[in-house]
Amino acid sequence: MELLELRGVGKAFKEAQILKNVDIIIEEGDILGVIGQSGGGKTTLLNLITGFIEPSEGEILYYSKAYNEKRDLNENLHKIKRFFGFTPQHNSFYPKLTVKENLLHFGRLYDLDEATLNTNIKNLLQFTRLSDQQHKIADQLSGGMQKRLDISCSLVHKPKILILDEPTADLDPILQKEILHLLQEVNKQGVTIIIASHQLDSIEQTCNKVAIVHGGTIQCHGLLDDIRNPPAQDHFTISISADEKEQIMNRLKTYPIKKIIERGNSLVIYPADAERTMARVLSLVKSDHLKLHTMHLRKQSLSDVFEKIVHDQQ
Amino acid sequence: MIKEFIAVLSNPHLMVKPFRQLWLLTIKNLRLLLRSRASALIIIFAPLIMILIIGLSYNTSAQFGLNIGIAVDSFTEDVESFVTLLEEEEFTIHRYEASLDDCIADIKSSKVHTCITLPQSFSVEDNSQKEVTFYIDPSRINIVWMIQETVKTKFNIKSQEISQDLAQNVLTQLTDTKNVLLAEESNLNAVKAKTGVASTGATTAKQNLAVIDLTVSTSANESAAVDEDLNTANDLLSDVLGYLGSIEDESQREAARDALNEAKEMLYGDVDENESFNGAIGALQADLNSLGQKLGTAADAIGKSNTDIDTVIATLQEAISDIEAVQLGLSTSYTNLDSQKVTSADTITSPIVTKIERVSPESTYLNYLFPALLVMVVMFSSLLLGTTLVMIEKNSPAFLRNFFLPVKKIIFVMSIYVTNIILILTEIIIILGISLFFLKNSLPVLPAVAFILFVTASVFTFLGMTIGYLFTSEETGVLASISLGSIFLFVSGVILPLEGVSPLIRKITFFNPFVIAEKLVREIFIFNTSFSLLNSDLGLLIAYGILLFITIMIIESFVHEHVVRKMLKHHHRAQVKESKEMQ
Repeated sequence: MELLELRGVGKAFKEAQILKNVDIIIEEGDILGVIGQSGGGKTTLLNLITGFIEPSEGEILYYSKAYNEKRDLNENLHKIKRFFGFTPQHNSFYPKLTVKENLLHFGRLYDLDEATLNTNIKNLLQFTRLSDQQHKIADQLSGGMQKRLDISCSLVHKPKILILDEPTADLDPILQKEILHLLQEVNKQGVTIIIASHQLDSIEQTCNKVAIVHGGTIQCHGLLDDIRNPPAQDHFTISISADEKEQIMNRLKTYPIKKIIERGNSLVIYPADAERTMARVLSLVKSDHLKLHTMHLRKQSLSDVFEKIVHDQQ
Repeated sequence: MIKEFIAVLSNPHLMVKPFRQLWLLTIKNLRLLLRSRASALIIIFAPLIMILIIGLSYNTSAQFGLNIGIAVDSFTEDVESFVTLLEEEEFTIHRYEASLDDCIADIKSSKVHTCITLPQSFSVEDNSQKEVTFYIDPSRINIVWMIQETVKTKFNIKSQEISQDLAQNVLTQLTDTKNVLLAEESNLNAVKAKTGVASTGATTAKQNLAVIDLTVSTSANESAAVDEDLNTANDLLSDVLGYLGSIEDESQREAARDALNEAKEMLYGDVDENESFNGAIGALQADLNSLGQKLGTAADAIGKSNTDIDTVIATLQEAISDIEAVQLGLSTSYTNLDSQKVTSADTITSPIVTKIERVSPESTYLNYLFPALLVMVVMFSSLLLGTTLVMIEKNSPAFLRNFFLPVKKIIFVMSIYVTNIILILTEIIIILGISLFFLKNSLPVLPAVAFILFVTASVFTFLGMTIGYLFTSEETGVLASISLGSIFLFVSGVILPLEGVSPLIRKITFFNPFVIAEKLVREIFIFNTSFSLLNSDLGLLIAYGILLFITIMIIESFVHEHVVRKMLKHHHRAQVKESKEMQ
């Protein structure tokens, strides 16, 4: 079921056009990753989806169960605010209140009855593993706990859509993994999630759909697998011995190769013709009795797709 | 009722939705403020400590601790008596014998507040005035005012004593003159009375003389009438004699004839001229003529006397008029002297006494300071709290999240106001509670004062909130609040007298909310003025509150947009910086 639809949406601040012609459909149960360069318009897109700012052009529609039709989000914002949970990049709770006080405060303002609220909080605290910290002042929590509390504050009223802006930006890899796992668990409970991030690995691990924002437009939008196909044909990687690296490099320079990237004992090779170049490399290894540890032509990553888009735009 | 109220407060779900949201936000604000220990200490407890210290400091009716230098050639008895007068008021006296320059140097180094040069003696021997000179430091305007107001009073007392002696002499002389005039008036009255008696006697004599009839009928006319009567009698006798013949009895006739003849003889017979009737008549006529002449002479004399008495009467009347004129003059003089009601030398020498009459019962200085002090504390607390709470909310990490809450903007604004008012009212209650310790008789007016302070707190809270919404950083906001409060204070007449400013500025200051609030509290607290007489000022204060609330709502809508843009800009900058660092 389509929950949200952006039709020809654009946003300009004064004379600067931040976004234009954005067309996205968000379905129930999706985890949509919005990726793009810094300043590319990701946050603006999220703010438009949440109604925090109004579009300069186009319209944002939401599906109304009561009317069984799509209705304008900004015109009915006061009615549908409670369907959204928003977690901005920086923590958005009261640092001088305890964990439980924060959850109670936001939950009560969503007009939940006390029993439901207490159940929600109890579940959330268990779910985010903050039960032991519930009476601790939020300011005194670790970075990961604070992020979990922030997400809890967005979930306390059981929203239909959870929107997160750079949720793993300031976290170490372990905490990043922890948060991403948490989000997947949240999604399993029926919450549609929209994540804006420039950490493409995180998006790739978590999301089922991706929208790539670049140059103020949506360059690519759809299922992650569809976007990554077909496999990358533009480069392959070989892993070799360190003492033979220079020899191989010198031989490779004689081939029609666009560029070679050194990564330790590995070389990422961007040839004009991948298959032919791979065959020549194998012949070289055989004829010169070189040691080739690995050689692979990998599937196109999200990063590859993104880099390609950026490269093509340039 | 109170139990139900507490139950509702402790369980917000019993409230109507907007009030529930308002209460929840207020509780959150209070928690945040109280957990920020520095803010709580400075904003909430500082005013309380301030009022306690000031309360203890000014809870006295003793005079100011002024240091006064007395510079004279020598400390005579007169000078010492004046010094004693000053010392009675707890002024500290520094003596400078023939060293005015030292005294002036001490003013410059703030050891003394003023130098006074005095004459050797205060007694006035001639028309030359005694000169007293004050040396003051005009840069310390408040001290100058204090010295002028307090020391001047002491000089007035001394000056009054001297004038009193002089005037007493003049008055004594006037009283003596009055007594002499009074005595002379009595003498004149006696003379007047005697003259009056004489005048009355002369008038009576004149009246007696005037009633004497001295007119006499002429004797010729009288004798002709007598002759005519005699002839008639003769004719009648003849007729009787003729009738006698008819009488038959001769003897009777003869007897009647003899009698008649005798009567005829008697009238005309040869009797002595003096013995005859006719003769007698003649003699009588002669006597009468003589008497008539004498009486004529007497009448002339009486007429002359009468004229003389008239002259006397006229003269006496003139004398009486003169005496009356003198008497009137004396009476007028006496009345004039008597109409001089003021006979006291004190009153004459000092018709307008420069003493300070209190328009309210005599109290400690705290009573007079208290209204301004209360309003000052409420003003600064409200301004600072209003600004701080808005800043806390605006700069809170949760500001963005609040957007997604189904709570109207007005509820957020009102929650800050209610938080502020709760804290200020707590302060007011504590302050008024403390005030009861110092000002025990103030209990009846405290509810009215509390109400005025509530309105005042509302106005200044809204003002502080306006500043909070207009400024971006907490530091500049608080600085702006303190500056605004200071401006209100400086143009209120509490610190510097408004008489020194231009008339236009003075008129404008009447619209200063601090001035209005201070006036309201002072009138209720000191003069027990009824609320109904303060409607206009109270109305103006409430109008300020409403106007400021509307202003806040307008500013808030602009500020929200501005804050959103700022956050997005900040967000982009952070991301760009992060990307660069990663590269």
